[in-house]
Order: sequence, then structure tokens, then C-alpha cells
Amino acid sequence: MLKLERVAKKYKGAGRYAVHYLDLDIPRGEIFGFLGPNGAGKTTTIKMIVGLLEPDQGKIQVNGFDVTEDPVGAKRSCGFVPDNPELYPRLTGIEYLNLMGDVYQVPGDLRKKRIDYYLNMFELTGAVGDLIQSYSRGMRQKLALTGALLHNPPLFILDEPMVGLDPKSSHLFKEVMREHVREGNTVFFSTHVLEVAEKFCDRVGIIHNGKLIACGTLEELREQSQQEDSSLEKIFLQLTEEGERP
Amino acid sequence: MRNRLWSVYLSLLNMQYGVSVLRHRYLKERRRLWELLLLTVTLIPFGVIMFRFFWSMAEMLFVGGLGLGQPHVALVYGAVMASLITLFFGFLSVLSAFYFSTDLELLVTLPLSSTEILLVKFAVVLTGKYAINLLILLPFWLRYGILAKAGVGYVISAVLVFLLLPVIPLLIASVIMVLLMRVVNLSRHRDKLTLIGGLLVVGLSIGFQVWLSTNVGEGDPQQMLELLLSQTEGLVRAVGRVFPTAIWAARAMAQAHTLQGWLNFGLLAGASLLGLGALMFIGKRVFLASILQGFEASKGSAGKRRAKGTVKSRPVLGTLSLLEVRLFLRDPNYALNGLVGYVMFPILFAVSLFTQEFTGSPLELLATLELPSMFIFGVIVLYVTAMVAMSMIPSTTFSREGKYLWFVRSLPLKLEEVILSRALAAAGVNLVGCLVGVLPMAYLARWQWGSVLLGVLLGALLSLVWAVSLILWDLRRPMLDWVNPIRAVKSNLNAVVGLAASMVLVGALGVISFRLSQGSSAWLVPVLLGLVGLALAAVNYYVLQRFGRKQWRQIEGGM
Repeated sequence: MLKLERVAKKYKGAGRYAVHYLDLDIPRGEIFGFLGPNGAGKTTTIKMIVGLLEPDQGKIQVNGFDVTEDPVGAKRSCGFVPDNPELYPRLTGIEYLNLMGDVYQVPGDLRKKRIDYYLNMFELTGAVGDLIQSYSRGMRQKLALTGALLHNPPLFILDEPMVGLDPKSSHLFKEVMREHVREGNTVFFSTHVLEVAEKFCDRVGIIHNGKLIACGTLEELREQSQQEDSSLEKIFLQLTEEGERP
Repeated sequence: MRNRLWSVYLSLLNMQYGVSVLRHRYLKERRRLWELLLLTVTLIPFGVIMFRFFWSMAEMLFVGGLGLGQPHVALVYGAVMASLITLFFGFLSVLSAFYFSTDLELLVTLPLSSTEILLVKFAVVLTGKYAINLLILLPFWLRYGILAKAGVGYVISAVLVFLLLPVIPLLIASVIMVLLMRVVNLSRHRDKLTLIGGLLVVGLSIGFQVWLSTNVGEGDPQQMLELLLSQTEGLVRAVGRVFPTAIWAARAMAQAHTLQGWLNFGLLAGASLLGLGALMFIGKRVFLASILQGFEASKGSAGKRRAKGTVKSRPVLGTLSLLEVRLFLRDPNYALNGLVGYVMFPILFAVSLFTQEFTGSPLELLATLELPSMFIFGVIVLYVTAMVAMSMIPSTTFSREGKYLWFVRSLPLKLEEVILSRALAAAGVNLVGCLVGVLPMAYLARWQWGSVLLGVLLGALLSLVWAVSLILWDLRRPMLDWVNPIRAVKSNLNAVVGLAASMVLVGALGVISFRLSQGSSAWLVPVLLGLVGLALAAVNYYVLQRFGRKQWRQIEGGM
């Protein structure tokens, strides 16, 4: 579903690569957690997948579409929620959702059904006629999530989805992601919350200084770090500290 | 330790004009230095032309005024012009700085009183006005100083007057806007009312000033001349009627060596202080309340909007065009700046028409002017084309999105769809705006409706093609890192270059079309304009294919 081959990105004027020849292969029906310390290259990777940044080298394929060759096809297969969803503040919630529905060409009946479903779930029905500028961060995140799921994307990408959410919303987000995968889709998300990744993901990848230093199920990571019965937190700390050593 | 208000002032000034960003970009990173070069190359000829124009005007007024014993009418004229420009642009600057800048949410949390916030904001806007005033006043004052062989007193007085001159017009704009916003922010339809109120205030102030200035010589010309000659400073008073403080400013400078001069300076300073006191008085009572009300106003109307909140399907191009129109019109910063031209030009024309001395009705005179149909056609086409650039909708389309640009870029859209939808939105708004001026004019002047219709149609097409050119220009390097949204329009090089290019294009086409329309080859006017449209479309297509897509992929920022 998502394939990255030798993907590299260096920002102008930066000394080192933000993403250093990254390889990833994520099959359909998987929840993949993308972990890493601040500045490791998680958001840069995500931005390249969704077409907000152009890789300097390498190839990214989403649902068989090459992100550089056929960006429209690749984007059609994606739903994306950024870490701090900056949505047009002077649109109302429903205007935003209609815009998403139009662009992704979601038929009217199906659109209405999905919008009603998610708005009810996120308790946004009463606010959907308000301007987005009046929404809290959590409300904006829920609205962005609803918009991103309207076309039932084969690949659902979220950047730090749990940041700023209350426990109930966080639980709902996880439920939505699980449900999306049960329908045969794939979820790729970055997070700092290791507990979530541990309990929730089928596989995790750890990126550090732009390089993928570990990738696999929790068991595979334990083997890789030679720490039996360790928590993901310990494994993460050990691997990233090893990555720091020259 | 710096005074806290001074510190806030410097920080706001920095944010308003992006001083740190520019310093970092040009001095530290040494990126995009060519922009500075382009800006210099664009602005220097403009500055030189303006300087020479004002210089000659000052000389002409000095010589003319000298004959009536009032050479300082040159100073009055310069001061009036500077004051009017400060007042007119002051409305827009005050509205943006006082009510729509993103720093307000931070400022109200600081231990600053309502009056202090207002004072600092006022100072920041005022600082910006000095730059514009310098361009107008320097040639006037230099020329006068040289011709009058003025001394040191004149120079000292000029510096002090320069500092005070924009205060009163800006105070007037501030007081009106503070009061207007107090009323507007109480309403559910805050943005709509701000736009309508802002346009009304600007329109009325222009109309009033033009009416005053064109009525300087009202009545029998012979009688007026005698009055100007017989009264001490008759001419000075007549010119100064438009903005009376200009008389004090001019006298303070022209008579700087006398007590009389300094008394006039005292009047100017006293009036400025009184005005500032009035603003602070009003501000203390309504400014903070108005801002806080504004923070709330965006929420209050849920019930009303919910009723409209229905699921609706539209074609992609339509939905994207609608998005562009909504985002533009719902932000008073953009809407006011973009739409003001559509109101201003018809008002200027109407007021000047109805205040001229005609024998008979001006409407009848207008109707008897039998203008060639191709002339009318050309005027309409070029007006519609010029105004699409004046609105700045296309030339700032990506810049205005700033941190929200990630959204459109992450959607499965072809760049052609993005550009065409924005061009359609710009051309659509422009067409409606232009019809506000064109239709009444066509009716009053009894223009042939065939020419008008054809002019509007070709104007719409040419403006659409030109809008695409301007959008591609903004795509080249959109200005995405702004804090105050008004910067995306007013401090945007893309908008400046777009305007300059439009002036050159429309000016050149205007001259050629005018010549053609006078002779037997008038039929060439639509051919010429049509061919120019086709040529522009071809250039747009080439630029889009050659550079556009690459640039769209490579934009960094906007998130």
C-alpha cells in the first residue's frame, strides 16, 4: 500500500539529511506507527508521502501510484490529517466538509451518511455551522479527521494525531483508525506516545536523524535490541541512544 | 531596561514590517537578493517620476502663488495631498492593525491597558505613514525652500511639521474606525458589516474630499478671482479648505522665522495632542471591549448557520472557485483592499462630474458626447483588465493562504484546476465590481449597448487570461510567512510587480487602441485586444508547462 525506496531529503542550507535513504514497505490492512525523537524526520517523511515536499532522491508509491509521476492518483488514495490542522478559519465546518466531498467526488448520499456518522461520533453536529476560527484545536482535529475519511481512503496518514486531544477524543481517534483498518485499509501515523504505539500498532518503525534504525512488530524490535520482555519505551530509548553514538 | 511600551512598539513594528525576517533572509542567509535588486529597479524609476512631478508642481504653485503674494500655497498643496493620502489609506491600515492582526490575542493577555494597546498600535501605523509622506513632501518642501531661499528655521520647522502632519488625518481615521468597529462587533454579521462599513467610510470620505476640492472655485470665476486677490491668503485658504491643518503646517514652515509661524506650529501640535487625547478617551471606553467582542463574534451565530449547514455537491472547478471567493470576501483585510477600487473610481468620476461648471446638466453633456463605439469598447475592455490586477486577488492568491496552503496542495487536484478556478474567481469578482461602475456610466452617457456588451465580454475574457498570468507570477514565489494577513497583500512584491506590469500592459494597449479608434481602422481595436489575449494565453500555457508544475511541487512552507 505504501512503499518508500531510498527516499532522501535535505533542506536548503541544512548540513545533514532530514531523511536519509529511507526504505519502508507497508502492506494493506496494517496499522503502522512511525516513531522518533523531535527532529528525527517523521513529519518530513509524511510531507513527502502526501506531496507537500518533493524528495531529492528515491521513489514513493501510494496504492501503486508514484507520488512524483502521478501525484493526483496518489493523493486520491490518501487521507491526511496533519499534526496541527490549519484549516481555513473563515469557512464553516460544513463548508469545509462539502469542499472535501466535492474534491474527492464523494456522492451526495454517501457523503451525507458519512458526515452524519462522524459528526455524531465526535459530537460536532452542533458546531458544524460555525466558522472554523471558533473551533478549539481538538475540534479542528476532529473536523480534519472527518474530512480526510469522507472518501474512505485506502491509506490514512496522521501526523501526531493524539497531541492535544482529551482522553475521550483520543479513544475515539483510535477507534476510528481500527475501524478503518478493519475495512481493509491501511493507517500510517507518527506519534510520540509510545504506549499508544505499543498497544495499538501492528508494526512500528523508529526513525532517528533521518535514518530508519528499527522496523517490525514489538517482538521483532525486542529481538533486534536484545531486550526480552522490555517495553517499547526502553527499546526506543536504547535504540535512539545507540543511534547517537559515533 | 527599555520602557515597556517602547519595547512593545519595537516588537510590533518588527512584526508588521517583517524586519527580522528580511534581515535574516538578506543579511544572514543571503537568499533571494535579486528581489532587493528587482524592488530597487522597480521603485527607483517610480520614485524619480513622482519626485520630478511634485518638484514641478511645487515650482508652478510657488510661482503662481508669488503673483498673489502667497507663494506658500505650494506648501499647503503638498500638505493637503499628504493628509488626504494618509486619511484614505489610514482607514484600511487602522482596520487591519487595530482589529485583524494576529498579535491581538497576545497583546490583550499582556499587562497593558486598553489605551496603551491603542497607543502602541497607533504609533506603529503612524510610522508606516511617514515613508509615504516623505515621498510626497520632500520634493514640495525642497523646491519651496530653494525658491524661497529659506533658512535654518525653515528646516527645523519642516522636520517638526513632518512628524506632526500625518497625526490628525490618522486620528480621524482611527476614531471613525474604532467607533465603527464597536458597532460592527456587536453584530452577528461582523465580517459583512466591516466590509460594507469600511467601503462606505472610504467612499464617503473620498466623495467629501473631492467635493470640497472641486468646490474651491464655486461661483462666478471673476468674483472668485477678485476674492482670492483681495483677501490676505485667499488662495491659501481656498486650497487649505480641503484639510485645514495643512494651512497651519504651511504657515509654520513659511513663517518659521517669526512668532506667527511658531504660533501656527503650536496650533498644529495642540490640535494633534487634543485629537490624540480624544482617541485615547474613546479607546479607553470602547477599544478593548470591541476587540473582545470580536473574539466572541465568530461563535455566536451557530443557530443561524446550522440551518444553512447542508450537504451540497458541486463540480470541482465550481467548489474551488467558490472557496477562493469566500476566503477573499470573508476577510475584511483582503475584501476592503481589493474592492475599494471598484467603489473609489466611480465615486471619483461621479463627484468630479457633478461638481464641474457646465452650462446645462452634466448628464446631458455626457450624453451629447458622441464617442466612437470602438473607443467605448476599448475603454471597457481595458478597465476590466486593469481592475483585475487592482483587486490583487490573482497576484496574491497563494500568498494569502499562508500557512493554510498545505491544504490545497495535499488534495488530488491538477495544477490547471487550481489555477483556472482561482482565475475564474478573480475574473468573476472583478466583473461584478466593474459592472458597478460601467453600467451606470453606460446608461447615463447613453453609450451604445452593443459596444458595452462586447466590451464587457472581451474584458471578461482578457481579464481571465491576465488573471492566470498574475496567478502564475504569485506561484513563482508566494509570500507565505506572514503574521498580519494584510502583509500578504500590501507588503507583497508579487502584488507590486503585478500592478506595475498591468499598468504597462493596459497603458500600452490604451494608447494604441485610442489611436486606432480615432481613424478608419477602428475595427482593428477588437482584433488587437483579441490577439493580445491569445498571445497571453499561449505564454501562460508555456509557463505553466515549463515552470508551473515544478514550482507547485517544490513550494516549501505553507503549513
